Amino acid sequence: MGFRDLRSFLEKLNEEGQLINYDDQVVPEPDIRVISRAAVDMGHTGPAVMINNVLGHSNAKIAVNVHGSWANHALMLGMPKTTTLKEQFHELDRRWDSYPGEVEFVDNAPCQDVIIEDDINLLELLPIYKVNENDGGFYLSKASVVSADPDDPEDLDKLNVGIYRLQVQDKDTIAMQGLPFHDIAIHIRKAEERNEPLPVSICLGVEPMLSFMASTPLKYDQSEYKYAAAINGIPTELTRDLNGLPIPAGAEYVLEGEILPRVRVPEGPFGEYPGSYSGARQQVIIKIKRVTHRKDPIFENLYLGRSWSEIDTLLGLNTCIPIHRQLRETMPEVKAVNAIYQHGLTVIIATDLRFGGYAKSVAFRLFSTPHGISYAKNCILVDGDVDPFNLEQVMWAMSTRLRGSKDVLVVEPTPGMPLDPCTEPPGIGCKIILDCTTIEKPETSTRDFMMVEPIEGAVDMQKILTDMHRTVQKA
Amino acid sequence: MKCVRCLEDKARVVAKAPDGGGDWEIYKCDHCNYGWRNTEPENITIPEKRDPRFQMVGIDLDTLLSPCAIPPLKK
Repeated sequence: MGFRDLRSFLEKLNEEGQLINYDDQVVPEPDIRVISRAAVDMGHTGPAVMINNVLGHSNAKIAVNVHGSWANHALMLGMPKTTTLKEQFHELDRRWDSYPGEVEFVDNAPCQDVIIEDDINLLELLPIYKVNENDGGFYLSKASVVSADPDDPEDLDKLNVGIYRLQVQDKDTIAMQGLPFHDIAIHIRKAEERNEPLPVSICLGVEPMLSFMASTPLKYDQSEYKYAAAINGIPTELTRDLNGLPIPAGAEYVLEGEILPRVRVPEGPFGEYPGSYSGARQQVIIKIKRVTHRKDPIFENLYLGRSWSEIDTLLGLNTCIPIHRQLRETMPEVKAVNAIYQHGLTVIIATDLRFGGYAKSVAFRLFSTPHGISYAKNCILVDGDVDPFNLEQVMWAMSTRLRGSKDVLVVEPTPGMPLDPCTEPPGIGCKIILDCTTIEKPETSTRDFMMVEPIEGAVDMQKILTDMHRTVQKA
Repeated sequence: MKCVRCLEDKARVVAKAPDGGGDWEIYKCDHCNYGWRNTEPENITIPEKRDPRFQMVGIDLDTLLSPCAIPPLKK
């Protein structure tokens, strides 16, 4: 069902007409970002793009927009490329219970076909480019960083695989942003308390479900490798780097090194997923000691900026699922959660109502989930029979159910997400609830209305009309 | 060489086009860690043409926000 490496996924995209090869020569800036932006702007049936001819490199291959459309996302799940977002959400939720999947350590891992230990120059080895024009330098925007808990380095569940922004500053040094609520920050803190370096491996071009899990808000002791295996239905294949860290065997490139303890360096700014630049910061620095890669390696990177960009698709459903499950632990009336907007800054929840006012309680629970505490700021509640992924239905609910005087709540100051440009100071925000659900007892209203009935047979008729439509289009 | 962003004389060449064709060079400033390529457009490579909101002239870099604070040493 799943894909053991990026290459096999690219083959699938190619078979499905979801991959194009751009063979004209490109100048790294601005051409690669122009292509990346254009590809994602093609919308949710858009393709991945292989860029095969880069000025200054004799054999570079760059893959962009791999996760850039819901069509590609469906294919990653082994579903038809026309699968709706709601169907993908429910399928992913169903597979979530398969955790944990298996990992398998393999010999002769392709990620170690070529080993470079001397004269490392990342800025020449990788066809890296500036993602946004005013970034502070050359960024890896889709790299999975692997690190172990210094107290339990052999514990695969406490091992972390996360995507963090990485500025390749020099031949063998990379600055990294880990925010305090990210799991790697726990590893960094423990190492720095002891004044010890933290071994890391930066893995580029991993199989698509691993990138997906590496950007999912999991619990600290949940394994991204085992989740990828569970969702994929096949074991995640691993090998070990020179420090013994388990790394994906099929990765295109692995940059092995360590975070220097108790050192911070200027880094940034960087165009972030809310579409604005976050400022220059003091960040940790990684010294790279060894690079390994596959033969004819593919450099995969991601465009992020003003929404909708590839990062929104990558972070979309994996933000929804954990929130959905956490809500349903105590509130089984919740039917679906759409948290795809800017990693859950705006969340639309479909819920049945246990009693009057219940929807607002669902919002309060959202705001206390581990991710929701700092991310979820705007919560829109709709009835359980409204598709929260269908914005026309959501807008209908807002138009016909929202009572401005009773259904709009504003709470401040609350925790906020520092990258949200509205939080002031960064990290302090405001939460809003828009309750677009029907009135439920014991709440009463003097207005009584009758909804028009659902039309029996319309769903079956839709299939008939769709076939007729296809026939007419082919003629 | 002079950094185009902070104007300190602390920049140097860190990479050249690996195919040996001389098509580009990458520079790094050792003061503010800015990186740029000589083939980028003039609004990046020429200080006077850069967007002034992204310049870092005379800024005390030690006062930049640090999301991940250095913890006290454990005894």
